[in-house]
Amino acid sequence: MRDRRAFLKTSLTAAALGASGLPLSGILRGARAADGPLVIGAPLPISGAFAANGKYASLGAAFAAQEAGKILGRTVTVADIDTEGKPAPAARKVQEAMAQGTRLFAGGILSSEALVMGKEAAKSDGVFITTAGADEITGSDCNRGTFRWTVPTFGAIAQTVRPLIAQMPNAKRWYTITPQYVFGEGLLSAAKAVFQEKGIEHVGNSYHSLAEKEFSGYLTNAIAAKPDVLLLLNFGSQSSDALRQAVSFGLKKRMTIVLAWASGLEQFEALGADLCEGVYFGAQYWHGIDSPLNKALVTKVRETAKMTPNYSFAGSYQITKLLLDAAAKAGRADGPAVIKALEGMRYSGLTGEEEIRAADHQVIKDYYLLKGKAKSAMKDKDDFAEVIQSGKSFLSPEAAGCKMT
Amino acid sequence: MIPLLDRPLVQFGLALAAVLILPLVMRSGTLASEILIYGLAVAACNLLLGYTGLLSFGQGIFFGLGSYVAGLGLVRAGLPAPVMLLLSLALGALVAAAVGWVSIRRQGVYFVMLTLAFSQMFYFLAYTFSGLTGGDNGLLDIPRPRLAGTVLSDPWTYYAFVAVLFLGLFAALQRVALSTFGRTLLAIRDNEGRAGAIGYPVRAFKVAAFAISGAVTAFAGALHAMLIGVAPLSNIDYHTSETLLIMTIVGGSANLFASLLGAGAYLLAADALSAIWPRWLLLLGLLLIVITLFLQRGLWGLIEHAVALVTRAPPPDGPAPDRPVVTDPAVAPVAEALPASDAGRAPEVAR
Amino acid sequence: MTYLFQILNGLGLGMLYFLLAVGLSIIFGLLQFVNFAHGAFYLLGAYLAYEGVERGLSFWVAMPLAALVVAGLAALTERLLLRRVYKLPHTFHILVTVGLALVVQELVIIIWGPIGGNVAPPEALSGVMILGDFVYPEYRLFVIGFTAILAAGLWWLLDRTRLGAIVRAGSESPANMALLGYDTLRINTAVFALGAGLAGLAGALAAPIRGVEPFMGVEALGIAFVVVVIGGMGSYAGALAAGILVGIAQSLMATLWPEGARLVIYLGMAGIIMAMPRGLFGRA
Repeated sequence: MRDRRAFLKTSLTAAALGASGLPLSGILRGARAADGPLVIGAPLPISGAFAANGKYASLGAAFAAQEAGKILGRTVTVADIDTEGKPAPAARKVQEAMAQGTRLFAGGILSSEALVMGKEAAKSDGVFITTAGADEITGSDCNRGTFRWTVPTFGAIAQTVRPLIAQMPNAKRWYTITPQYVFGEGLLSAAKAVFQEKGIEHVGNSYHSLAEKEFSGYLTNAIAAKPDVLLLLNFGSQSSDALRQAVSFGLKKRMTIVLAWASGLEQFEALGADLCEGVYFGAQYWHGIDSPLNKALVTKVRETAKMTPNYSFAGSYQITKLLLDAAAKAGRADGPAVIKALEGMRYSGLTGEEEIRAADHQVIKDYYLLKGKAKSAMKDKDDFAEVIQSGKSFLSPEAAGCKMT
Repeated sequence: MIPLLDRPLVQFGLALAAVLILPLVMRSGTLASEILIYGLAVAACNLLLGYTGLLSFGQGIFFGLGSYVAGLGLVRAGLPAPVMLLLSLALGALVAAAVGWVSIRRQGVYFVMLTLAFSQMFYFLAYTFSGLTGGDNGLLDIPRPRLAGTVLSDPWTYYAFVAVLFLGLFAALQRVALSTFGRTLLAIRDNEGRAGAIGYPVRAFKVAAFAISGAVTAFAGALHAMLIGVAPLSNIDYHTSETLLIMTIVGGSANLFASLLGAGAYLLAADALSAIWPRWLLLLGLLLIVITLFLQRGLWGLIEHAVALVTRAPPPDGPAPDRPVVTDPAVAPVAEALPASDAGRAPEVAR
Repeated sequence: MTYLFQILNGLGLGMLYFLLAVGLSIIFGLLQFVNFAHGAFYLLGAYLAYEGVERGLSFWVAMPLAALVVAGLAALTERLLLRRVYKLPHTFHILVTVGLALVVQELVIIIWGPIGGNVAPPEALSGVMILGDFVYPEYRLFVIGFTAILAAGLWWLLDRTRLGAIVRAGSESPANMALLGYDTLRINTAVFALGAGLAGLAGALAAPIRGVEPFMGVEALGIAFVVVVIGGMGSYAGALAAGILVGIAQSLMATLWPEGARLVIYLGMAGIIMAMPRGLFGRA
């Protein structure tokens, strides 16, 4: 993997140098000069516990920049910013990048870092677009400088729980396992609302802390409640641990398991096909999506980087591309102009037709329900799941609690 | 006689010089401010580790506490920044005194483990009372302080604000270290039994050291929250405690300027390395191993030897501060003759 | 019934915690060495078992092999590095082992990538036991039994053999051991390798339950310290009792008050230090 990364970076830098003929110091100094390279800051957890996401996201951003080549006559480069997965370094380094003249940022995997970076960007007329999960980003903490590509918790539940209820009319008893913080609460309350509406019996919920790795105790609670469906509302390595342990407790044979907020191909790779077979996953992106942009991306990335774009890669690619497209559309690369171009933009994105809602800066896009395939049914090593259904479900900006400032 | 480099005026002069030089050599006022802020917290940690011989894994509690106090006061209550800074001092002292009062009842590794347990418990409290602290999202929208009608939003303006406070507190910590109180702490560090036998109320002194350390650390935490505009959960995390300790040891626990050195070196290295190589923590790990093996007096020890080379005076081969050590007097003249890199090696330990 | 079952589950966790912590405890007892790199050996054990299974080895081969390799690497580390540090104050024990843990963690990411992976339990143990309304994975039952046998073997080793006597005497008074002509340096290496190997074994055993990921060592270290402090540093029986206690507490808390599990465990640890500073089984 390091080689691929190095390859992308080198070719990118070489392209930048060749095209602009600028000395390296010019690139490092940032985009202060209007005719210098156009720098997109990519603040990502490159070290720390979320390094896996950061690494692929960094590749995705670089890919988007390389593909764009030149925008407004300026060579596009991506400057990785290591947030270490923590809000404090994230905020500080975005401040620094802005002091160096960078105004456009695409990144932020974790909610806590994304929230604070959005605030930083907005303070000095910058733009920050993210794939993080917290509803507040385009809800109660929305601001002029922050945009979000990912579907909020409301849509994630609506596009996973609702179709499954319709598909399994006899599954009346659902049990939930929820991480205790704002993101988990968001998923849980959305799920509860659907349960109530559809007459589903919510037979129990287990809260756990963000540090938890041992789920056997919660699974025992779940078994005792005799549910038809086990709905996992955690994400990342916690959802992998929960699913792995649920399968080892033989729950796949006893109930349907649903993971509402999966991290995509990365997670399937870590878990392996045997564990994932027959399990339902909610996803923001899947490389099997049938859209022109996605097909082009998958083909191109497989050719040049010998990998299949996963969620971290694709999300980061898409948000970087959005910034570049908006700058091209605006004819300028300063923050207010790019914000104006992004607001209300309709475009053909990775998930098909997408639109950026002006009122809360939320991208309106599909969310996907996947089902894990048996190993024997996989067409290639990345063909872990089939898309069962997809669709758009969003609260109105008012209901999401966004008062744009 | 106090060695030249350890004289209070020289120490303060070095700190002042650092404060003045940083803006000339650094591009980022934010990082420069962070260096001073961590420098304060590390100096406070040093007061416990270097001066009192207490290895506390709980410094993150006070740092995080200061961040939250500043955040709550500024965001929720709308109080002015100076009030919040004073309040963070007071609350930091109070909580640290309480944590210290319990922890010092045990010694050695058990003391360390107690502070570790406290650090986990305070993290849990901050995580659970998310209505107050913002939980995992952190307490957002913390404004920069306002001075004479202007908000200090420019990085270098805020740096100037931090720099003045830093120098003030640095001088105050120096006063503490040089006072009878400070000398007593050193006596306790070197031989607790004897200090007690002479009649010093050892526990009261230790609790007081905790309170002062906690107050300064919380103050630094408050400044940090205003710097980055958020009081994140990670500020009260166990890792913050660990980082502060590492900075203290990297700098050297011999004196207070060493702490600024430790904070600066750590932050600058982390900033530079993380920009080049995603696996930079590997290099940090190697650095810690190298310091343990060859640089037990920290980066400060390196400077001492360099100065000794220049002035031809023997370097202060005093014991690494938190242990009684018998040194071979023959080592010093030899060290003088060696090249700087070798001379930085700490004296062999014999006991 | 749920509680009863949580206790059984807690026992399973506890045995694993015992295996993880006992090495740390023995190392501290003999060497007075605070080892913050213990979690790194656990991490290595898990990844080596993963590598073995990926390369087609049977889990039954990969598991002990992983533990042996970890023990070997630990012996090497002890001889080349840690031996020089024993005499320094605890501050430097912590500094050097924190550094070592970082190096191992980052090397794991470089070698195996940041994503982590899954280790399937051995075929024969991939099913579940059905107990009334409850189910329990056979592999976890195996871990309980296997660790119990190991615990007995370890007890025999430490309490009934010459090596054990030397180790116990060495932790009382290293100087006397040297006077009696024992090669304390070699004993130190052997004990360190044993302790680290046990952590590696715990990692290998945990891999089919937890999978592998580069940051699993950090969590393990925290648990190991709690268990060692509660049980009493240097105490074998203490590590066993405290491991089971912490496992059961954690499992019960999952039903009673899940968010508070961490608080209760650390409160318990602080309480034990205050009330019985040498832990439940430590020598006074």
